[in-house]
Amino acid sequence: MKKTIVTFVISALIVASLALWALKGQIAGNTQEIVMAGIVLVLVGFAVTLGVSRLRGHLRREPGEDELSRMVMTRASSLAYYVSIYMWLFVMYISDKTTLAAHSLVGAGILGMAVIFLFCWLGVKIFGMKNA
Amino acid sequence: MHNRIKELRAKQDLSQLELAQHVGVRRETIVFLEKGKYNPSLRLAHDIAKFFQLPIEEVFLFDGEVGEKPGD
Repeated sequence: MKKTIVTFVISALIVASLALWALKGQIAGNTQEIVMAGIVLVLVGFAVTLGVSRLRGHLRREPGEDELSRMVMTRASSLAYYVSIYMWLFVMYISDKTTLAAHSLVGAGILGMAVIFLFCWLGVKIFGMKNA
Repeated sequence: MHNRIKELRAKQDLSQLELAQHVGVRRETIVFLEKGKYNPSLRLAHDIAKFFQLPIEEVFLFDGEVGEKPGD
């Protein structure tokens, strides 16, 4: 239950930060910013979906975590780490060929890692761990 | 690895949630097991077999054993 509450609080804080960023007029509205905000919202949606699923499980008196959910997280994390190494190599490669500031590239890389984890998690969920 | 969880559950007119609650896992784990998307730990396999009051080898079958009687 504690993890679910933390997930909801962090998601709310991220959405509030995004809203503040937009309301304060610091968002220029260019494609890069819109794409980044969109990715952040997708990730928040993913976290909220996980939180709701945990909450529903809690209401059905299911354990918050069991051997499958821990295995899915472990498998998705290890796969995401492996893929992220190649993503950072790509970021290093394009850093010389783009006019983007270093902090923007690092931000994009961190967002990319989160997106990679999302896809790995979905992949493990869809295809299962038959040969584990 | 194959298993007879769905069949045994149907025989006892038991829902996935009820089985999950009896063996202390989430319903999703039972769904994954029935679809053959996950091989359980020895502990979970033991708990499920114990719940159905059957030996593990009568609930969980390796690929070559499907269609064979346990002990053949």
